[in-house]
Amino acid sequence: MNAAQIGFWAVLFAGAVRLATPITLAALGETLVERCGIVNLGVEGMMALGAFMGVWGASQQSWGMGLLLGAAAGGSLGLLMGLAVLKGGVNQIVAGIAITLLGIGLADYLFQIWQPSGRSAVVVPLVPILRVPLLDQLPVIGDALFAQSPLTYLAVAAVAAAGFALGRTTPGLKLRSVGDDPEAAQLRGVDVVAVRIATLVLGGALAGFGGATITVGYLGSFSDDVTSGRGYVAIAVVIIGRWSPVGAMLGALLFAVFDSLALLAQSGSVGLPVEFFSSLPYAMTLLALVLTARAQQAPRALGRAFGD
Amino acid sequence: MLSRIPEKLWLGLVLVLFAATVVILIVLAGADPVRALQGLLDGAFGDRYAIAETIVQAVPIAIVALGVAPALRAGIFPVGSEGQLAIGAVTATATVLAIRGAPAGVALAAGCIAGMLGGAAWALLPAILRARLRVNEILSTLLMNYLAANLVLWLVRTVLGTAEAVATPRSDRLPVEAIIPKLVEATRLHWGILAVVLGAGALAYWIRSVRGLGYDIFATHRDLAARMGVRESTAVIGTMLVSGAAAGLAGWIQVAGLQGILYPSVAGGLGFTGVLVALLGGLGPLGIVIASFVMAVLTTGSNGLQTDTGVPASIAVIAQGVLLLGAALVFAARQRKARTAIPELTAKPAEQAP
Repeated sequence: MNAAQIGFWAVLFAGAVRLATPITLAALGETLVERCGIVNLGVEGMMALGAFMGVWGASQQSWGMGLLLGAAAGGSLGLLMGLAVLKGGVNQIVAGIAITLLGIGLADYLFQIWQPSGRSAVVVPLVPILRVPLLDQLPVIGDALFAQSPLTYLAVAAVAAAGFALGRTTPGLKLRSVGDDPEAAQLRGVDVVAVRIATLVLGGALAGFGGATITVGYLGSFSDDVTSGRGYVAIAVVIIGRWSPVGAMLGALLFAVFDSLALLAQSGSVGLPVEFFSSLPYAMTLLALVLTARAQQAPRALGRAFGD
Repeated sequence: MLSRIPEKLWLGLVLVLFAATVVILIVLAGADPVRALQGLLDGAFGDRYAIAETIVQAVPIAIVALGVAPALRAGIFPVGSEGQLAIGAVTATATVLAIRGAPAGVALAAGCIAGMLGGAAWALLPAILRARLRVNEILSTLLMNYLAANLVLWLVRTVLGTAEAVATPRSDRLPVEAIIPKLVEATRLHWGILAVVLGAGALAYWIRSVRGLGYDIFATHRDLAARMGVRESTAVIGTMLVSGAAAGLAGWIQVAGLQGILYPSVAGGLGFTGVLVALLGGLGPLGIVIASFVMAVLTTGSNGLQTDTGVPASIAVIAQGVLLLGAALVFAARQRKARTAIPELTAKPAEQAP
């Protein structure tokens, strides 16, 4: 490999790890939610509102406030969905679509009130990059693994923690039992409704936090459709990752590698049209969804209303 | 907690919450709610032109919703209308431009058929994947929407693009013969509304047919439906292709019924709103037609609202979300009531038995 090629791969991987971070966080939340038996189609709306609240909070005070508000916004939408589904008896899919509309609509509406079109966009300071001394000098992978936003390291830590909690702790066992056999769990004294609502709040907070990392972590500003389907990708990634936190992270990386390639293709001149590269991450996600469709091990009560 | 609220109170509760949300949002934007309501009504019903515009807006939404209803009734959840509409618009435009000079009857029929075939073709892959490999149709159709958007953008930029110097990529204007005739002069209301009437009739017939009943049962009781002769792959592929064809038809209507020009933004959320309207309308023809009109009022009304008072038009999206959630809550409460009513009915004969 010559220097230019090494440079290309280094930029590609560094971009992929960066782009995978918001999706990993949202997909981790969705993994937990689906493991307790609920399909949350509202992730896209939660991410959109989180992305807006992130910028707003950061502009008012600091990026920490932005991230906090993003997580709070996503968590609130999760709570609303939990109440509608588990207390109001609403179909999960319908509730998810409604939450997506609410989240996207609120984000656009509040953004336009805050910054009417025509005015120059507010740009907020980003979360500073954390460089690991010496290791960040490694060829090809140095920038990708050791010169990232602390949010990326946080996402990896969250995946590890969730994997441990899900497999080795009592709350994790309760959560899984609610997703596999809610009636039996209820008989054993697990409050199915409470577990599911709490998980939806947590999953929503992670999606909102993930949305906030897009704007506060990497872009510095908000625009309409800033999430561009990443919430839906996060749901696909949960299936591709076979409902495990680590699997979700790997699935997010798969999307992000092609997303990063598309960004590189936009800046340089390549033989194929830009639209081809923009399509790649979605096409690859679809392909991965097809390849993992057989031998799926979904939580047994996934999508089924409790009590049916 | 929520389930203890009597069924009759739900509708009122939801309407109050809806009104409260809208008023809070308008106040948040610094506008006067009364003037805002005036702006909304002006935008939707202000004059003859505004009313026609609202109906024009409702037509594609209703067509998409009527087409997706059989799939939703069968428990299949395609959300790909957005992409299918755009692809249908492309195939219709390409076909009509290719046969330039054809008489009006031929140009209209060709555009209509090409649009439906294009939409159905875009639905074919997710349908087969769902039927054969059990790939989740919600996610596959959503992902296909992004592929469609990119494909349409590329086609309109290159092959289908006009030779004229224009700021935004677009196609050539369709020949006059290929434009759907106006229904009311001096407005944009066109004969495309006929498709809504025919579609509603077809859905009404389908619901009452034996086959339609079998598909309804398929949603909840696969084995029973199989004994009625409903094959899973036929049900999945058939209903998903119908929803694609309907979306493609709406795509043709959006090009040939309005400006006669294809823009990459042709779908503009109509596909998503269509699926939403099918749910809001209770998956029945009359409900869908009413719901599509309500959604169109929200859209044209919120545009009027923005011009009159500066309240962002995206208030319509929030309102849609609240309406959908509210309707689903009312629907769930009705179902709970029906469920508790059934044991009472079945208990009576048992009591009378000696």
